[in-house]
Amino acid sequence: MLRFIARRLAGMLAVLFAVSVLTFLIFAVIPDGAPEDRMAGPTASPGEVAAVRREWGFDKPLYVQYARTMTKIFTGDVVSYVDRTNVVEEIGRGAPRTFSLAIGAAILWVAGGIALGLFGAARAGRATDRLITVLALIGVSMPVFWLGALASHYLGFEAGIFPDGGYAEIGRHGLLEWLWHLVLPWSVLAVVLIGVYSRVLRSNLLDALHADYVRTARAKGLSEGAVLRRHALPNALIPIVTLWGLDFGAVLGGGAVLTESVFDLQGVGQYFADSVGRLDVPPVLAVTMLGTFFIVAVNTIVDIAYAALDPRIRL
Amino acid sequence: MHWTLRGPACALVASIAVGLAACGEREQNNSGEIRAAVTSFPDSLDPALAYTGEALQALWVVYTPLLSYAHAEGVAGTQIVPGLARALPKISADGKTYRLRLRKGLKYSDGRAVKASDFEHSVKRILNLESADTSYFERIVGAGAYLQSGRVRGDISGIETDDRTGAITISLEEPYGSFSNVLAMTFGAVVPGDTPFENQTKRPPPGVGAYKLANVRVNRGFELVKAAGFDVGDMPRARLDTISIEVVKNRGRQTQSVIRNELDYMTDPPAPDQLRSVRDRFAGKRYREFVTNSTYFFFLNHRLQPFSKKAVRQAVNYALDERALVRVFGGLLEPSCNFLPPRLAGYEKIEPCTYGDPDAPPDLGRARQLVKQAGAEGEEVTVYGTEEPEAKGAAEYFADVLSQIGLKGSPRIIPAANYYATIGNRKTRAQAGFANYFQDFARATTFFSIVDGAAIADTNSTNFGNIDDPQIDAALARADRNPRAAAVAKDYAAVDRRLLEEAHLVPYGHRELSVFFSDRIDFDECTAWHPVYNLDYTSLCLK
Amino acid sequence: MDEARHALEPATGDDPWRLALRRLRANRVAIGFGALFAVLLALSLAAPLWAHVAGTTPSRNHLADTIVIDGQRRDVVTEDRVPIGPTWRAKYFLGADGNGRDVAVRLLYGARNSLFIGITATLISVLLAVMLGLLAGYLRGWVDAVVSRALDVVWAFPVLLLGIALGVALARDGLRLGPLSISGGSKWIPTLIIGVVGAVYLARPLRGLVLSLREQDFVEAARAQGAGPLRIMLGELLPNLASTILVFVPLLVANAILLEGALSFLGAGVRPPDPSWGTMIGDGVALLTSAPHLMIVPGVMLVATVLALNVLGDGVRAALDPRAKVRVGR
Repeated sequence: MLRFIARRLAGMLAVLFAVSVLTFLIFAVIPDGAPEDRMAGPTASPGEVAAVRREWGFDKPLYVQYARTMTKIFTGDVVSYVDRTNVVEEIGRGAPRTFSLAIGAAILWVAGGIALGLFGAARAGRATDRLITVLALIGVSMPVFWLGALASHYLGFEAGIFPDGGYAEIGRHGLLEWLWHLVLPWSVLAVVLIGVYSRVLRSNLLDALHADYVRTARAKGLSEGAVLRRHALPNALIPIVTLWGLDFGAVLGGGAVLTESVFDLQGVGQYFADSVGRLDVPPVLAVTMLGTFFIVAVNTIVDIAYAALDPRIRL
Repeated sequence: MHWTLRGPACALVASIAVGLAACGEREQNNSGEIRAAVTSFPDSLDPALAYTGEALQALWVVYTPLLSYAHAEGVAGTQIVPGLARALPKISADGKTYRLRLRKGLKYSDGRAVKASDFEHSVKRILNLESADTSYFERIVGAGAYLQSGRVRGDISGIETDDRTGAITISLEEPYGSFSNVLAMTFGAVVPGDTPFENQTKRPPPGVGAYKLANVRVNRGFELVKAAGFDVGDMPRARLDTISIEVVKNRGRQTQSVIRNELDYMTDPPAPDQLRSVRDRFAGKRYREFVTNSTYFFFLNHRLQPFSKKAVRQAVNYALDERALVRVFGGLLEPSCNFLPPRLAGYEKIEPCTYGDPDAPPDLGRARQLVKQAGAEGEEVTVYGTEEPEAKGAAEYFADVLSQIGLKGSPRIIPAANYYATIGNRKTRAQAGFANYFQDFARATTFFSIVDGAAIADTNSTNFGNIDDPQIDAALARADRNPRAAAVAKDYAAVDRRLLEEAHLVPYGHRELSVFFSDRIDFDECTAWHPVYNLDYTSLCLK
Repeated sequence: MDEARHALEPATGDDPWRLALRRLRANRVAIGFGALFAVLLALSLAAPLWAHVAGTTPSRNHLADTIVIDGQRRDVVTEDRVPIGPTWRAKYFLGADGNGRDVAVRLLYGARNSLFIGITATLISVLLAVMLGLLAGYLRGWVDAVVSRALDVVWAFPVLLLGIALGVALARDGLRLGPLSISGGSKWIPTLIIGVVGAVYLARPLRGLVLSLREQDFVEAARAQGAGPLRIMLGELLPNLASTILVFVPLLVANAILLEGALSFLGAGVRPPDPSWGTMIGDGVALLTSAPHLMIVPGVMLVATVLALNVLGDGVRAALDPRAKVRVGR
């Protein structure tokens, strides 16, 4: 078991390294003129520009630049090309917002998905089941940015039921304000995934309900409800848990960027989008690494959990 | 002596700085806090570096230079008055020497005394930090040698100060008629002699002003706090305790916040899709529009095809429809046939317009003919613009115009943060693009600085089109020496005409900006629009 | 849709394809939505026709124009930048946008662009995934190791972030791959990006499928007959991948269209002034208060198209392989 975990972790590090190199290369190969000009700013003297060039290694080969930039990221010293703010601090500021968004939405979509999936399986084949399926499909087809912009405008801006964007820090504005600002983003992000989860659970449940061991349980006289609760549901939920882990990792790793931008939450995803537009490499690199870390970490945890449950997988 | 504002008539009287009893004194609320919003953080809060409108609007009331502008609306606000200096400078007959004397008993917001030598230190900072307008100060004798020596604590021979008497003498290499205006810019603000030679945005130095900077959070916001001990001649004092300025990137949300009185003031015009509703509901009650001294134009790169050909440049001027651009700006544009804005000495309305009546449809046929004759049909042209709705719309419109006259125009939209560095870089090879210029000071010379051949640079150039017209260069060199703008008005008018005749660029109008306040602000009595710095923060007070 | 599974269990020896087709045809809902997709496709192809009727192009700005409706002369775009709403006539059928462009014309050309990118990207994904799946699954060894690790890396990359980064990076000066040169403003940039990203979703299942297929008898037989790896991969394995690929295709297209919309909305996909549903939604956000149709209409078309593809995809899956667990997109 320990060896399995060690191998997984090693793999994780390898992937992180590869991703960082890839991201760096994407921006390194853009002929952008000298980034040191932009870093030093329009009001810098030639001496300052030269100093920046030396410090970041822009006059050295690519691998030196990569090494220097990565060192700066890990020592927390890295600053933006454009306005010299500390990238790690900015990420630290945006992280609670992205976390708030991701965690809240994740809870919402898994709870909603399970509820709807249960309902659909229980009423399989009837009108309500079909309705749920249709709604689920529509939800899956919605672009998050469109739905978000509509919700933010009509429910926020026009109707005033919710604020039309922005994020309220718990420390400064209190729990209620924080919640109120997040209800719409949570809902919008969750709508898309509730559809997916409800359908997966429903189909898993239906499969489980037709399985042999369930038939045995029924034959033994167990009620339908008990069958559902004690046998079908737990088995149907296992793949949901893995799926949820993967999706949560994905949202944390960058899927939140659209929702953040539309609702102006100023989280890490939005920071990324703004930085990319300005060809500001250090934040892009740092956020990508962070996002990848989350995705890979969650994947690894899921893998390890599965291996712990099923020894055959470790081979 | 306190100065109170009561309408434009009073403002004119006030600017003469004598006998204010005639204005009467209504009891004004002199305290309170307000919240304001900007769309982007100032480029810098260091007076030696700050250049954008947001920055200058705040820094003007925090850092007072030797000279300043009158706190008045309209043309009166462009008059230069003494700031930290006792009186306007005594200029020698040859125009090369300026003598001033500091007022007595001046103190910075942290209590320290202001010394004459602090001025020389401030100039050294400007020269070392190489800010956008350093070139104005390089005209001082010894500035070049000072920079060459590389010793930041070295001496600038052209500035002599006497801390005992407060005397300051500045010698210029060549006479420069606008030097008083230069001394009135925030760049020339006096800061303590121990201020480091680095960008001090995170911890701005103390200054002499009605407000002082506090709680600076880079990229997020800052505060203007009343400076209790401010007492300089009859410069107005702060009427509010705190003005907190936050960065809110979304103009739509800013607009909505002001409407709901959650925000007291927004510096930018309302979001384009709410313009009509704001105008209908609040014009004259909480909202006003102003024409600024600015010029909006498309630059055309003379060093690249197809705009190296005069005929093609003229074709573009013929094809442009100013009515379309007015719409792109939501009506916040005053169309014009001139490059210079109307409220400056040297402005002479070009009548009839060189390229057709701006209120009538443009002559596309003629434009197409010119392009064909020049052999430029089918040439690809990239038009640069930023993501802001007005700039994007203008760039897309212009690219379409080019396509209609036989060229192949396509817009290229880049983020605002990189824009000027990109189009000012020769390597970008930008053929055309969106540009604008707001006055540095109220003289025609500042507008023409961007069409002067001397402003062409490889990086951070301000002459985006690489305009290098010997006639213009010569006329400007002559006119700029004279301190009396009125005397050289004819020269400036001639340069303005020549810019249009040679179609060196495509000007289309002057920007209108607006002020939009919440209910809490006393709109009638306490909101003054300044021609150079837009909103005058010292005029703001609550009901 | 799950009902089909129980109703038409395979009888003995029936051709699986014909069976699948029968199942699909019995699925009225899937067919209906498939028809919807076909209609949308046809509309997008008819874009030049409509442009001719409306007398304009998708990028022509009509800012200063006026139009006569019911005897009244109205501005296409008023001085405070409020564009005209739907006129339900040939000109400005769905109104104009903030630069005076005809929304209906732009919508149809936008559909063309979005569908082109979605379908072409999917073709690229399928091509790439088949290649990678076959090579990794059949040849195994170091080839499999390299391909699997590469897939792991791309899989780990936050998809949207990768797309945005590449979209912006390549939009500046284009892409040069040896002799092939693509300009920065070309639609091929987002197409390639989405194609590469989408390949990952398909490559893994295909690799798994190939891994299990290669052990089977018919492959052994072919090898015994002296067939080389290429012939086996293309001749024996590939046809068996077909049904899995078909199940994925509609969902890959749907995902590609959504991804293109997201990238264009953020400014990292289709470049102005070319229209796509994503760019139109992005442009429309700025004018939501005064002209909501600018954002709503392209969004509705996008949702309709993706929905149609999702339902169709469901139907195809039910018909071909009801037990398949297909997962595309996040």
